[in-house]
Amino acid sequence: MESIKIKKITAVWIITVLVLFIVSIVLGILMRLNQGEIIEQSPITFYSNMTTHGLTMIGIWFVAGMAAVNYLMQRYVKTSYTANVIAYVLTVIGVLIFWTTTFVGKFHAGWTFLYPLPFKVMWATWATPLFLVSLTVFGLGWLIWSISLMTQLLKKYSIAQVFAWQHFRKNPKVETPPFILITMITLIGIITCLFAAVILIALFFAEYFSNGNFLNDALLMKNLTYFFGHTIANEMLYLGLAVIYELFSEVSGRPKWRTTWYVALAWNLTLIFILTAFFHHLYMDFAQPEGFQIIGQLASYLASLPAAGVTVFSVFIAVYRTEIKWSLTNLLFFIGVAGWVIGGLGAVIDATITNNVLLHNTLWVPAHFHTYNAMGNVLFSLAFFYWFTNQFTKNIEDGKFTKLTLAILLIGGIGFLLAFYIGGADSIPRRYSNYPTDFTAAAPLATMGAIFATIYLTAILIFFFKIYKGCLKILFSPS
Amino acid sequence: MFKNIVFTFVTINSWFFANAQTASGIEEETNIYERIYNAPIRVSRNQQLTFTDLNNKKPLLLALIFTKCAGVCNPFLLQLKENLQFINSDNPFTILVLSFDPRDRLGDMNLLAQKLGLENNKKWIFAVTDSIALLNQSIGFYPRWDSVRSQYDHDALLVGINKEGYITKKLIGIRDKLDLDLLISSVNNIYSPTYRLPNKNILFSCFNYDPKTGKNRPGLGWLFIALPAVLAMSLLLSISFIVHNKLPAE
Repeated sequence: MESIKIKKITAVWIITVLVLFIVSIVLGILMRLNQGEIIEQSPITFYSNMTTHGLTMIGIWFVAGMAAVNYLMQRYVKTSYTANVIAYVLTVIGVLIFWTTTFVGKFHAGWTFLYPLPFKVMWATWATPLFLVSLTVFGLGWLIWSISLMTQLLKKYSIAQVFAWQHFRKNPKVETPPFILITMITLIGIITCLFAAVILIALFFAEYFSNGNFLNDALLMKNLTYFFGHTIANEMLYLGLAVIYELFSEVSGRPKWRTTWYVALAWNLTLIFILTAFFHHLYMDFAQPEGFQIIGQLASYLASLPAAGVTVFSVFIAVYRTEIKWSLTNLLFFIGVAGWVIGGLGAVIDATITNNVLLHNTLWVPAHFHTYNAMGNVLFSLAFFYWFTNQFTKNIEDGKFTKLTLAILLIGGIGFLLAFYIGGADSIPRRYSNYPTDFTAAAPLATMGAIFATIYLTAILIFFFKIYKGCLKILFSPS
Repeated sequence: MFKNIVFTFVTINSWFFANAQTASGIEEETNIYERIYNAPIRVSRNQQLTFTDLNNKKPLLLALIFTKCAGVCNPFLLQLKENLQFINSDNPFTILVLSFDPRDRLGDMNLLAQKLGLENNKKWIFAVTDSIALLNQSIGFYPRWDSVRSQYDHDALLVGINKEGYITKKLIGIRDKLDLDLLISSVNNIYSPTYRLPNKNILFSCFNYDPKTGKNRPGLGWLFIALPAVLAMSLLLSISFIVHNKLPAE
């Protein structure tokens, strides 16, 4: 009964995520059209949309990963349906409050809401506290969910086992599946960054209600913002990777991947590196001690090595000169890994201090994070959605049409990203609602980005209608 | 000796005057990175230029005054002249002294230049414009005519304009050499780091800056950055302890 409930709530998550994704893509296209001077938005509308787009995207792909991991985790441990539902309800409430602040209150401090921007009120006065309330609601729901999942894992596995430390010795008696190891590493990272968010929001509220008697330190607030923001944006990718480790071999008709000493070591190191890589967001902050800047660069390099290196190696070995049963699921996983690696390389280039001086405030930044999200993490989740829907409904894949959809997705995605990369290499700044005439290539590139994003959206809409039909069947089926 | 005493007296009085003006609500942050109005300016009887003509050659420090000023204008210019003598900057700039009083003529400005001993200094330009309203608007400078005193109620304002014609920084009041250094850097598009000074209301700073020594000491703020990891690890250990010691294993 519990597994049926989890199945249904997973279907609800999928429909919700896809609906919010489509709305967020539309907002993104409108922003690029405005930058391309095809439509005219007021700067307030542009930045409100940018805030909505950014935070919604981060939120939905985080919960998509969590829903997938929660569903698959039932293969190993019993998970809490109640925690899952609480997370869902609080996420929906959070989205409604957050969208009210941006669409009605015109809050537009960006998804990073860097201190002291939320207090420089250029929107409805109620929007700032309500925005902080929406973050609190999100954080509460996600923290409950993450702690619940972690608790379930710890009921079955000891700390040494859940981190796969026994694999550092020869012939371990207990095997920790890669899915469990990666999920646990990721959950610890998520809980840590959510605690950072709790402190951050508490400090924001403290200043807001103190009537000027308490002021925050800008450097502390920026460190906390990126401790939360950078880490959660990366951890949601790792949720996707956990799903790949669990499903890629299975859907490809290959033996299940097993944890080895190097997989265990790589993921344990990843936990440390990913929690310290956020320092690379503060290269421009001269007051940050130089040691932290160096840690930021080293951690950014090292964080990408274990997870990416081991995963890419595993995927490559799985497909190289091997007869694979290709389906849309493992194709999306495979392309998603490629997108993640390309975006990751772009990120490492930007995380190098000497390059960051040139690239930091250019379109290179949205280029790399859109690569590992739109062509990486989104594909991981779409693959899961497809696989999940296929489990309970008749085959929703139909050969040629599926390939065509995938081709549209690739063309749209690559074209959309190229417009960002070319812009970044041309030093076109990011976060401009309208470009000065000095940037001659900016508007045409923005238009190009909007056109290709529309193609990408077309593919997503096709995926959506197929997946959503399957999810509705699951939702309304008696068992 | 007498000259120095008079100068000191005038400067101190003007300092208070300037501070009172600053309190009038005008802020240095307004109109920054906005383009200055390209007003026509007359620098000599035969020469009419525009702002663009001037700032294209060298960045500008624009001082807005009027020659019949009985208040801050003269000490403001004297102090500016004094401070600039001690600035050994390799960064180029021109000081444009412009009258915002429509009654002022070029002759009045030349006389002012002579009084200040700057008539032959090529770094200084004294000029008038017939587009003062538009220029003031682009700067965010709004002098008020006080008919009782027959004087303008205004700030001592120095505006930094870079070679591209953008306002990069404004200084209100009579300021020291350090502030002028920052202004000259800004008009030359050179980044100047700044950090908020210690404040008793900031309890959790990453650093406690000592203005006397110029050194930073680590503050309580760093504990907050370590705290999330400590809390997460404590939670992990606590849950593991509880489920393995109090609950039956599944």
